[in-house]
Amino acid sequence: MAEPTKKIKLLRKTSKTFLWISLILMVFSTIGLYFYVRNLLQNEVEEELRSTEARIESSISGNNPIYQLAPMVEVETVSNLGAEHLKDTLIFDPSQNEIEEFRELITFSKINDQNYRITVRALIVESEDILIAVVISYLIVILFVFIFLFYLNKSRTEKLWNPFFKNLEQMKLFSLTSETPISLMDSDILEFSELNTEITMLTDKVRADYKNLKQFTEDVSHELQTPLAIIQAKVDTIINGEALNDLQFEQLSSIQYDIQRLKQLNKKLGLISKIENDQFTNISPCNLNHILKDRIENLSELYPSEILFESNEDVVLLMDAHLAEVLCDNLLSNAIKYSLPNTPIVIILEKDSLSVRNKGIRAILKPDQLFQRFYKESDEVKSTGLGLAIVKKICDLYGFQPSYRYSNNEHHFTISLPKQ
Amino acid sequence: MKILIVEDEKALLQSIASYLEKDGNVCETASTYEDALYKIDLYEYDLLVLDINLINGSGLDILHLLKKNKKETATIIISANNSLDDKLKGLDLGADDYLTKPFHLAELNSRIKAVLRRGKFGGTERLEFNEILIDTRSRTSYIKDKAMSLTRKEYDLLLFFITNKGRVLSKEIIAEHLWGDHSDMVDNYDFIYVHINNLRKKLTDAGAKYIKTAYGSGYKFMED
Repeated sequence: MAEPTKKIKLLRKTSKTFLWISLILMVFSTIGLYFYVRNLLQNEVEEELRSTEARIESSISGNNPIYQLAPMVEVETVSNLGAEHLKDTLIFDPSQNEIEEFRELITFSKINDQNYRITVRALIVESEDILIAVVISYLIVILFVFIFLFYLNKSRTEKLWNPFFKNLEQMKLFSLTSETPISLMDSDILEFSELNTEITMLTDKVRADYKNLKQFTEDVSHELQTPLAIIQAKVDTIINGEALNDLQFEQLSSIQYDIQRLKQLNKKLGLISKIENDQFTNISPCNLNHILKDRIENLSELYPSEILFESNEDVVLLMDAHLAEVLCDNLLSNAIKYSLPNTPIVIILEKDSLSVRNKGIRAILKPDQLFQRFYKESDEVKSTGLGLAIVKKICDLYGFQPSYRYSNNEHHFTISLPKQ
Repeated sequence: MKILIVEDEKALLQSIASYLEKDGNVCETASTYEDALYKIDLYEYDLLVLDINLINGSGLDILHLLKKNKKETATIIISANNSLDDKLKGLDLGADDYLTKPFHLAELNSRIKAVLRRGKFGGTERLEFNEILIDTRSRTSYIKDKAMSLTRKEYDLLLFFITNKGRVLSKEIIAEHLWGDHSDMVDNYDFIYVHINNLRKKLTDAGAKYIKTAYGSGYKFMED
């Protein structure tokens, strides 16, 4: 599997790219500018030196007195002519009283049968100062330009992508179960507008499919009731009809048992789809103590051993009264179904939790699937496999947290209740 | 008793009618909305068994009309829709009971009798079977004028037996009547045998041997 790439925000990414490009541009343009200006200045100095040298030569050939101005101009008579050269050199400058860098042009000329060596120098410091000044001013200007561009670009990008971000938030908030369609911000950008159209189409389709699926479950469970009613009525009629033999009665009785199972299955599936369809809107304060006591009394005859109920204070929850009963019933009946015979079931109700525990032989094999539809550990107990799925649905609806653990040979089902 | 059964599923309609006729009731049937309106308009009935979802209309409208015309007809709604809203709506409109499909005919029969026992339909809240007498208002039972001490479930069981006397009742029917949705909770029906045996013993001790075993695993309440 590929490593997940590190995620970075769009605006950050574009800003980062801009900054990097700006930096590279700045560095290279500054280096370029530096060499270009330096070259320009060098040529300028060289031209100046050559022009001074030409003037001196013409002055010597005109028999004018030899012009000396050390260290800028030095004229000496030499015996042999040497090669001309141009270089940078360090010379003590008495006027500045320090060693300075000079550009030096040494030429040899034969004027009026006399060999001269003419040395012309120019201070480099000056041109270097110019060079630095140019580069710094360039840097300052371009820095301001980049900062300005950076913020302009950022605000432009933000504005440009604004519909995208707004719509992204809308999509995050999108819920399948919500009745209202997703509402997206329109944009004058063609691609964004197209994206909106596609998203709206997709979410509408998904919502419609989801609704159909839920409706389907409800419809099926509803439509099955009538044929089941007919089958059941006919079985009842046969049982009371002409004399049957014991085997026939046994089989009819078994059909009744299975009809009952189908009825339960149907009813529970219908209940789940009704919870999913959010059709339980009759929310009122429900006193769990009262409901539990009532349900325990109702079911205690079905359980040969004791059902113990402990509670120190009244717990009142805001929820649909019918669902509160179903929640308590399902937890209780689950414990009754799976409890070891002749061991008590203990129900503890506290301010922030409701727990039901019963003895068992071993822990549930796949506790993570316990609250899923049709999860069954074994075929020993005939169950619809929907009781705990309904518990989970009700918990989801009201933000309760169901959990399961097994310790001391006991199954513990705990529902964490929100603070009221 | 004169009973009108309104139900668009003819098979179910026939089963209900023939079950109720065995008790000596006169049953008329209507399988369409129009037919039901017509019959209600023309005749008087003691009881109406009414399906809500009819092809051309709602049973609730029929009920509404019935109440508007101030007819003293007891009504039991039978509906495939088990939503609480529908149930409340039906009861608000003046229905006397509400039964969700599918149901056992014995259950419907016992609900009908319970409704008819109520004073407003000229019934009596006392139910007699030979030496047994049940006062449904105080939920007490007497045998040979002596009060019987029955548990809640034993009392329900005795009442169910007497209202369905002479009928074969399987343990499934009994379990469903006594515990409704929870009857599937325990695999075997031992818990039913316990209640039936206790009740049978109490009756037998007083000389009433009416609970008979039928076909090995079923029950029938009848005279010898």
